[in-house]
Amino acid sequence: MLRALSRCHAPVVRLLSPRTAVLVETVRGRKSRTDPIAKSKLGRIKTPPPVDPVEMVVLKERYTEYNLILRALRLEFKEQMLRKKYEEEVGSVAEERTKREAEEHRSLIALNDAENLRMCKIRAQRMQKEAEAAELKKREAAILRQQELESYIKEKERQILLLQEEAKDFITPDNLDQRIEEALDNPKNYNFAIDKEGRVVKRTAFQQ
Amino acid sequence: MYLIRSCMVFYKYFLLTYSLLSSTEYLSVMVHLSSFLLKKYHGGHVVIRLALGGATNRPFYRIVAAYNKWARDSKYIEQLGSYDPLPNIHNEKLVAFNYERIKYWIACGAHTTKPVAKLLGLAGFFPLHPMTITEAERRQKAALTEEVKMDRQEQVEQKEAL
Repeated sequence: MLRALSRCHAPVVRLLSPRTAVLVETVRGRKSRTDPIAKSKLGRIKTPPPVDPVEMVVLKERYTEYNLILRALRLEFKEQMLRKKYEEEVGSVAEERTKREAEEHRSLIALNDAENLRMCKIRAQRMQKEAEAAELKKREAAILRQQELESYIKEKERQILLLQEEAKDFITPDNLDQRIEEALDNPKNYNFAIDKEGRVVKRTAFQQ
Repeated sequence: MYLIRSCMVFYKYFLLTYSLLSSTEYLSVMVHLSSFLLKKYHGGHVVIRLALGGATNRPFYRIVAAYNKWARDSKYIEQLGSYDPLPNIHNEKLVAFNYERIKYWIACGAHTTKPVAKLLGLAGFFPLHPMTITEAERRQKAALTEEVKMDRQEQVEQKEAL
């Protein structure tokens, strides 16, 4: 009787084979064309709402005027928009924009060049300073090396002289016998006594 | 009618999946319906209308440019203003309009709904809507008849008192 599926929001596939439970919303009170009329409404004749003819004429006039003005407004807006678009893309606005952008580009390039020049100067100065410092360091290193060499030579000479001095007292095969004789003649006593106060006694009991 | 609409939606999905098979099996060319609105196919147009928001017993409308076929409260192209139907503490109903963008959309061929047209008429952007004038006249006439009736009732009471 009442079509329960008169307002369903589910897609077609789910309608044809509802695998889940209730998918469909039922809306109370809506009748279709084929449903019978209710008993209370059997004698009802539907009439359109009453209209005042004078008011209707006035209203129709007002509506025609209104529609005319609206149409004019619409066309006006359309023209304005087209003009604005044209100006922006082709006309004065575009020209001004290109000019402004060129100006900006030029100024930016100039700024960049100035900056580059400044950095170049600074860099040149820095390089010069570094070169001078390196030169100085090299010279100082050379001097130091020279000094080291000289001191080394001096030290070696001193050691040679010392050795030469000592070599005079060396025991050689020539004066071997002489030295043995000498040593046997002068016995040396290395023994000594010392007490807690630190008094040293070189004369000992063992003496030849 | 709703059945046909859901059928169409289903058909569109079907078309997109089916095309993947057909290009290998058959030599026919399946064109992908890639544009989102497909104006020529669906035949929609842009409208400036009121989208309802707010809470229970507290409506609030956003004046919105949307395609005709989209749901009233869902996706829109651009919001162009708002309208608060409940008067505030100073007894004012606040309306906001972005005239620049409204001009743009009307230039692009958007329609306006009746309430939006009435509001714009009251704001001065459009001419006054005929129904606004007519309703005001009706109210004035009703007020006049009420006055006359009250006067007549008073006169009758005075006569009875005498």
